[in-house]
Amino acid sequence: MVKLKKFFIHMPLYVFLGAILILTIFPVVYVILASFKSNQEILSAGANLIPKKITLENYKLAWVLADFKQYTWNSVYMSSLIVLGTIITSSMGGYVFSRGKFPGKRIIFALFTSTMFISMGSVTIYPLLQICRGLHINNSLWGVIIINVFGLHITNLYLVKGFIDAIPYEVDEASKMDGCSFFRIYWNIIFPLLKPIIATVALITFRTAWNDYLLPLVFTLARPKQAPLVVGLVALKGSGEAASSWNLMMAGSAISMVPMLTIYFALNRYFISGLTTGAVKG
Amino acid sequence: MRTVSKRIITLHSSTNVKTSLKNNKKNKKEYIQSYLMILPQLIGFCVFTIYPIAWVVHLGWFSYDGVTKTYIGWENFIRLFTRDPMYWSTLLNTFVLAIGKLIVELPLALILAVILNLKLKGRSFFRAMFYMPNVISSAIIGIIFYFMFASFEGIVNNILLALKFISEPINWFGSKSTAMFVIAVAAIWQGFGINMLFFLSALQNIPEELYECADIDGANKFRQFLHITVPMLAPVSKVIFMLAFIGSLKITDLVLVLTNGQPAGQTEVVMTYIFKYFFTNSEGSSSQIGYASALGLVTSIIIGLVTVFYLKMMKKTGNIY
Repeated sequence: MVKLKKFFIHMPLYVFLGAILILTIFPVVYVILASFKSNQEILSAGANLIPKKITLENYKLAWVLADFKQYTWNSVYMSSLIVLGTIITSSMGGYVFSRGKFPGKRIIFALFTSTMFISMGSVTIYPLLQICRGLHINNSLWGVIIINVFGLHITNLYLVKGFIDAIPYEVDEASKMDGCSFFRIYWNIIFPLLKPIIATVALITFRTAWNDYLLPLVFTLARPKQAPLVVGLVALKGSGEAASSWNLMMAGSAISMVPMLTIYFALNRYFISGLTTGAVKG
Repeated sequence: MRTVSKRIITLHSSTNVKTSLKNNKKNKKEYIQSYLMILPQLIGFCVFTIYPIAWVVHLGWFSYDGVTKTYIGWENFIRLFTRDPMYWSTLLNTFVLAIGKLIVELPLALILAVILNLKLKGRSFFRAMFYMPNVISSAIIGIIFYFMFASFEGIVNNILLALKFISEPINWFGSKSTAMFVIAVAAIWQGFGINMLFFLSALQNIPEELYECADIDGANKFRQFLHITVPMLAPVSKVIFMLAFIGSLKITDLVLVLTNGQPAGQTEVVMTYIFKYFFTNSEGSSSQIGYASALGLVTSIIIGLVTVFYLKMMKKTGNIY
């Protein structure tokens, strides 16, 4: 009886959740299914979602003809280098702000925190390009990589700092007695303990890097061969042949979405925990 | 934390002079190592955060085409305030879009969070699915929605036709109101999940005891929601609203890819407008990087003022709860 009552109370909630769920996954499902249709079928399928005849032709075309092989490689190396670099800078920064005792610590941290409030959005992209022109890294993804690795990611700092704050002091006190230097404690003791939070930082960073559009666009304007997936895909849309190459665009969208989605569904607890702790602390 | 550091201080003061001298040396070494370890971020902060802002502020008073730079005083700002109605209409668009988006997005996020906070089966599945759009690139979302809402053989038109809601395809990107609607739908689709998560974590921070007490006092679920959940959520909701609003004002990629300001620049938002002065327009005969800087500066100040105004207003209304 109680179970039945509960069922009737929850029923409308599930219907509502289900409706929102359909709206949420519809665009993704549509693109992925359409990427297996021929161009003819995409343009004449009406409201039919399921492909009548599955074809891999679109992927072959996109991979070879539309340079998506190159774009994917660019995306992969750009994102991995950014993730690796950011793990090092963020974990060191978080460690120093958590455990370090040095003059100016508070002021520097306050200055860093202020970037949460004074960011100008895409307005500063042009000066960033100018700076990189001065450093001669303006015509490749190296500019993007360096800006992302050395640029400040205040959420990452907060995440790592919060995590280290929760590690008992006794852990590094002991090695301090043994004569470990400040850096050695980080490298040998603290860093290995950071695995869970580094997973979160890495995922957040990877998502941002993989999905970024404007910055890599500007840095690869002169050399389209160097473009990452997102930039290459949008360039295809703007090329004027978009109408006749829906199939390529669908396959391209799938190629750039699926790796990210796979990682997300495999590791979504790290994504979500990072977000909520970051939000509460920040 | 505090007790631990206190203990260390007492430890230090109780040791004799010799070791404290030694400690001084050690401290100095630690200072140097600390500075060295944050040096990369410190340099990055100066070069990639402070310098670009200073650069934009500085260039606001110059005419600059990428090669020659001439000081022109307040000319850029005079032009912005008196001769550029387009800028103000893009600013208005941005606010309309942000408000229209949040009116739907935030209540939806809150309702979903409240439902998922019940002990329903499969809630972590729903939570993961609703957040999913957030991991897709804004630019790709722009492309997907561009195809879905295409006037010729777009899936949305086709479905509406099949359901007989409309008799002929709608040209979604043909008029300002429908194009803005599509942008808003795409933006809501992208953003409701993250706000749902924020609300959800706020809900989970409400102590369970409050509900238990109310249960004992005989308050029903609805009254509990009204008198416990709502007031406990209010402070966090203010922050969530502010973050979402400011984020929406800075919308760039999505609009750039989805409509690119079409039709006839009517759906241009402020960030894409400025971006085009920096890049697209500078390929032609007249480069206007100085003017773009002035636009960026004024926009940042406007967004800053809106934030301050919002915080002030919230402080005043803060004592309602």
